Amino acid sequence: MASGGPPDLEVVARVLGGDGEAFGIIIRRYEPGLLRFATRMLGQQDAAADAVAEGLVRAYRHLASCRDPARLRTWLYRIVANRCKSHLARRSSMEVRLDDAPPIADAADSEAMVERNEQMERVQRALATLPPDKREAFVMKHVEGLSYEEMAQATGDRIPALKMRVHRAREALVAALQEQEEVL
Amino acid sequence: MTHIDPRVHEALDGERPLESLPPDLRAEAERLLEVAALLAAAPVAASVATRVMAHLAEPRPSRLRRLLQWIARPQAVTFHLRPVWSLAVAAALAVFALLPGGGPLELGPEEGIAEFVLPASGAHSVHVAGSFNDWRAGGIALEDRNHDGVWRATVVLPVGQHEYMFVVDGERWVADPNAGRYVDDDFGRENAVLIVRRASR
Amino acid sequence: MLVCAALPLAAQSIRPRLEGRVPAEVIPVIDSIVQAAAADSLPTEPLVQKALEGGAKHVSGDRIVLAVRLRRDRLEAARALLVRAGDSTPVTPLKVTAVATALSRGVPGPTVERVVAGLPGEPHAAALQAVADLLAHKFDPDSSAQLILDAARLGVPHDRFLDVATAAIHEMQRGSTREDALARVRAGLPNLPPPARPAPKGVSDAKRPGV
Repeated sequence: MASGGPPDLEVVARVLGGDGEAFGIIIRRYEPGLLRFATRMLGQQDAAADAVAEGLVRAYRHLASCRDPARLRTWLYRIVANRCKSHLARRSSMEVRLDDAPPIADAADSEAMVERNEQMERVQRALATLPPDKREAFVMKHVEGLSYEEMAQATGDRIPALKMRVHRAREALVAALQEQEEVL
Repeated sequence: MTHIDPRVHEALDGERPLESLPPDLRAEAERLLEVAALLAAAPVAASVATRVMAHLAEPRPSRLRRLLQWIARPQAVTFHLRPVWSLAVAAALAVFALLPGGGPLELGPEEGIAEFVLPASGAHSVHVAGSFNDWRAGGIALEDRNHDGVWRATVVLPVGQHEYMFVVDGERWVADPNAGRYVDDDFGRENAVLIVRRASR
Repeated sequence: MLVCAALPLAAQSIRPRLEGRVPAEVIPVIDSIVQAAAADSLPTEPLVQKALEGGAKHVSGDRIVLAVRLRRDRLEAARALLVRAGDSTPVTPLKVTAVATALSRGVPGPTVERVVAGLPGEPHAAALQAVADLLAHKFDPDSSAQLILDAARLGVPHDRFLDVATAAIHEMQRGSTREDALARVRAGLPNLPPPARPAPKGVSDAKRPGV
């Protein structure tokens, strides 16, 4: 989703031609989406930052293997998605983590703001209950706005399987939210 | 597992218009879209641009050395990569930037770095004003470099607590929706509260 | 003495800072509030900041004066609290401001007193900020204060108190009850994972505010 500035094709060519600093354009262009994706996948900002940083370093080092620079965006998502899977596989559920989402609104806030932040909290908690593949599918489709074709490029999976996964993810998310509401 | 009507899935997949759904199903679809919107707006990790560029600028160890480092590396905890990244961050902070437009930046012992971010698509200008700049509305400009509607600025500030608001298009005062800490401004609005910590620890 | 030295400085510094920024007709009133605060050994910079803020936000002169007076009252209440809490070290402007800020962020007076009394001779700002963060997430005031005081007693450095609060908040967000969240974090003290990384976006492009 290159908007403004030279097209991805041109930037990739510059980087491969030795202009390493041009990689900064790629970072600025895609980092917000990648960070958002990784933060939703991992539920921890620090781990998400690590995953995206590792992913971007790998992307730089393997840029020549990006067969279609016009699809740079999905290629980057693929790399970061793999880094996220790697982080999830290493994670211990018992460790105390400090670097998750920052504190949400304080008690002196307007009701609407408090309500919204509570909803955000609930939704993030519900997302965290989804297995990684469904979480990834939902986030790619509905948060990052990838088409099924783009998701197929990013994951290597076929579109019918991805559709099924997204459908199941929606159902699981709704179930998780309903369960939270029952508890409250 | 909760079952969702296939028509809802079709609408969410863009295969049928949302308006074609009966009211109860449309409400279900809209709820899911609302959930997605909340996830899109929830806070995310801070930028890694500087550390990535700093890391790429360091000479890469030889293959053998990388192999030896991999063997020696402690296993299976989330933080085991951190020393490498901490070095990269320290390098980025202590040495000088490689990004275009960069220049020397040295932080004092009682200074830290604050990043201000405001999603404001459609805005022509965004500034941040607060107790750190005598509330000058035009003092610190945020930039939307990617033209994606997200405005940012990185500012060196004294360590401690600061209050601030954003000023959009020179006239609209907006509380930072992602600040996490707020305090009444005694003028009928809320200021965001920022706690700046020392950059080097 | 400090007070006598502060007064002429305040008298010289305030008006030029306010001129052109605050409605002219209220500058003398604000100046007198600030001078009186200085004479009372209260911090004056928060009062000036409130006036500048009001001017920047195009608030009427009356409301600016009201807000400055309110802030002065809060600073006075903060100082009284410090004295009640038995803080035997000099009551510095920084301490008064830290307490006033905690109160305005919703930390109850008794909780502030407890934190101040529990950290004799030490800076309170970080501890109060951490407690305020916990209260913002509806943790119990007493338990929140106790967690931070325990952290201090166990040797956690002051600049990590916010991390202690964040740990409890994240435990709660992961599904623990607030009591359990506090207990889990307390059980792990003084050990803490590495601190949060500083926000490094575009460090080389970082600006300094030019006041």
